[in-house]
Amino acid sequence: MTELCKYADKVLKEALKLGADYAQVTVSESEKKEFNVDGGSFSLMRTLFNRGVSLTVLKDKRKGSVSMNRFGDAEAANLVKDAMDACLSGQPDEAWEYCAEPCEEEFEYGAPECDTDKLFMRTRELLNDIGERYPKILMEQMITDHTAAKVVYLNSNGVCYKTHNGAYGFMLMYSAHDGDRGTSFFYNGVSTKTLDRPVIEEALLDKELSQIQAQLDASPLEGKFMGTVVLAPGALTEIVLQTALYNFVSDGSLIDGTSIWKDKLGQKVADDRISLSFEPLNDKMVSGSRYTSEGFKAENYDVIRDGRLNSFCLSHYAANKTGNRPAPNDSGCLVMKTGDKTLNEIIAGIDKGIYVMRFSGGQPAPSGEFSGVAKNSFLIENGRITRPLTETMISGNVANMLNDLVGISSEASVDGSSVLPYAAFGGVTISGK
Amino acid sequence: MLKDELRSCTGGFEKGLHTELRGQVSRSRSAALLNGNLISNSRTDVSGVSARVYKGGVYGFSSMAEYSSQAADKVLKAAHDNAVFMDTHVPAGKPDIKPLGKGEYVTDVNITDAPQKTYIDFARQLDDYVAKACPKLISRRIMAVEDSVEKLLKVSDGTDAHTALPRSYVYAMFTAATPSGQPVELFKAFGGEGTFDVNFADPAELYADIDKLYQSILQKADGVYADAGMKTVVLGGMMTGMLSHEAVGHTVEADLVMGGSVAGKMLGKQVASPLVTLSDFAYEAFGKRAPLPVFVDDEGTKAGDVTLIRDGMLVGYMNSRQTADHFNMAPAGNARAWSFSDEPLIRMRNTAVHPGTSRLEDMIASIDDGYYLIDSGNGQADTTGEFMFGVTMGYEIKNGKLGRALLDTTISGVAFEMLKTVDMVGDTVTWSSSGYCGKKQPMPVGMGGPALRCKVMIGGR
Repeated sequence: MTELCKYADKVLKEALKLGADYAQVTVSESEKKEFNVDGGSFSLMRTLFNRGVSLTVLKDKRKGSVSMNRFGDAEAANLVKDAMDACLSGQPDEAWEYCAEPCEEEFEYGAPECDTDKLFMRTRELLNDIGERYPKILMEQMITDHTAAKVVYLNSNGVCYKTHNGAYGFMLMYSAHDGDRGTSFFYNGVSTKTLDRPVIEEALLDKELSQIQAQLDASPLEGKFMGTVVLAPGALTEIVLQTALYNFVSDGSLIDGTSIWKDKLGQKVADDRISLSFEPLNDKMVSGSRYTSEGFKAENYDVIRDGRLNSFCLSHYAANKTGNRPAPNDSGCLVMKTGDKTLNEIIAGIDKGIYVMRFSGGQPAPSGEFSGVAKNSFLIENGRITRPLTETMISGNVANMLNDLVGISSEASVDGSSVLPYAAFGGVTISGK
Repeated sequence: MLKDELRSCTGGFEKGLHTELRGQVSRSRSAALLNGNLISNSRTDVSGVSARVYKGGVYGFSSMAEYSSQAADKVLKAAHDNAVFMDTHVPAGKPDIKPLGKGEYVTDVNITDAPQKTYIDFARQLDDYVAKACPKLISRRIMAVEDSVEKLLKVSDGTDAHTALPRSYVYAMFTAATPSGQPVELFKAFGGEGTFDVNFADPAELYADIDKLYQSILQKADGVYADAGMKTVVLGGMMTGMLSHEAVGHTVEADLVMGGSVAGKMLGKQVASPLVTLSDFAYEAFGKRAPLPVFVDDEGTKAGDVTLIRDGMLVGYMNSRQTADHFNMAPAGNARAWSFSDEPLIRMRNTAVHPGTSRLEDMIASIDDGYYLIDSGNGQADTTGEFMFGVTMGYEIKNGKLGRALLDTTISGVAFEMLKTVDMVGDTVTWSSSGYCGKKQPMPVGMGGPALRCKVMIGGR
């Protein structure tokens, strides 16, 4: 860490010497251990030694950013020169501003040290567990890893953060096969601080493996109807949350004015039961950042609180451009407030709809309109799941769906980088063959 | 040109174990304007070495963010140790990779580096034009970007190579409003292989294309929703390229075949109309240089074309050296790595349906009630061959003539069923190469094809 600090300090001083009004430097060093399984068999072990340095400078309200992974006196000088050249090639913009107050802190969290033997043991155990419990599942690819990183952030306002953290990661991509029958692929993952328990017990891995195996008996949905979709956490993110966050409350759509929520701050945009927040400091998150990319200490914040738009997800630049407040973190670690009914109780109240595990769709329109294919889905009839479905088209409008909530489950997927329940929405067009 | 720091390191290759050692420099340049505001102005330079060692059916790999002979020695040892760990703990007991014989390839591509001002000034001038020439836009984005990769590869067996692949693009993304005030978007990429200063001498050369894009988005803003259901359509060449890559190409990557892809049961079977032939081209296609040429892959295999579908019959897979041995096929240079810290994976290069004999006008004229679908924003496909593509630009076809433009919609289907409905193939190939294919690592790829007349499920509203 000392060497990283020295290098960051050298780059920062060099930037100020060359005339930067403001500079911020991030220097990092990391090591990753990784196991790969392909087609159900171990295929690869990787060890990656990485490092990097990035520099952002401001001069006369112009901004330039450069990153590289070469270190040394000459390289530091080149980095600063490139950043200043880039900066001075741009045009001034009053909105560029970095105003974090002086602060010095060290953070150590997650799993900074890797137990490689135990990671391998848990990986092999996971593969064996899946083989025993779900013999029809074929693991197309499984990647398990541990990454440990030391990072120093320094800026010319007197802010210094030193971070030492790490995490174990497990990413699975699989489908089920039985003779000539096969399912669509599915993927899920989890990140953890420890290897204390079998990985199959984490998040929704076991349940979702079971559901994919049950997809082998899928058949087409006939006809077209307006109904309710119950979205598993993955599909909830893909269809609703990403669209709402990217199209309605992020930098680009607010700066260019295309967000349909641009004038909705403080107003109702969703059902009262919906609360959505970014919580990097939540204990359930494995590696949420402790500070923002602009040098502020991170705080959790609500985007939607009890159905009302509480905050946009803006950088300082976008906040200055639009006259809004910047977001208190870099908008990672999504949490949706759970409801008071179980998933089964929600399904019990649905006459006709589908349960969707994954969504394959086009880029959502700025208006919130979406259409695409409900993957790995099941038909809901008269309050219960009746059969698995082959690919079914669904379409609707995310902004409308948020106000047509049927229910949010009391159980949630906790995968180390988010806490998300199941959620059911009405008013969605569901089309079969 | 990348200096050879690896020459002295091949002595560290363990005898009898297939070993690859790669040094690499990658760089990216970006300037982005949003409504005239310079929101991105960045440059990245990354270099390093990696090694991969094969032992008994499993690989060990290691990389280090430093391009030097000392770093090469370290990653060779770490990769070897990892291969031994795997062979000890999960022995696959497989034979050595089949030898290819030694060879050497040295690129003649020289990567130059334009200053950041070049990107910013180009984007600024083009943006100024858009601001004046396209007054009805409610938002505009202009990006000038380049990413370039230069590699040195040493292999214990195969072709040692010095390769270089620069590519650069200008992206224009427009937003207009429908009469009811709903925003609609349209995007176009210009450029291809080559550094930015070579590909983009003068912004004025793009003005005519910008004018066309503007007319298209105005038509789209006045457009209608497609009627949902199974329709006869003409897919434009860009859509055919997406289909070739996403819906067919991925299913015939040999690693995904081993992972359960539908193509595993279809080799030698009719999967498309006899009018359809589809190949993954290495560095030339249809008598011209391919959009993103690959001459040697990152396993030291000299690249050649792979015919995947011939006259409607599935005849091949894309392979690494390991999967080629498994399927008893010849590797053809599909094992590609993106960053220095990435191991080679089976990837496409330039994947396209071969042209036929039909003229686009005749194809459109042959349809009474259908759609001409021109451009796709994105696409996703399943290892079952099921696909879904967003359609960002298209038109109705009524009584053989183009009608109103379409608002955003999607098409979906099963590739090996849908391709059997192809009954006309256009005579002109259109390519795209601006995006990245995602499969553990990003990878620049070319995709293309002619217009196809076929039946497909369209999403409607």
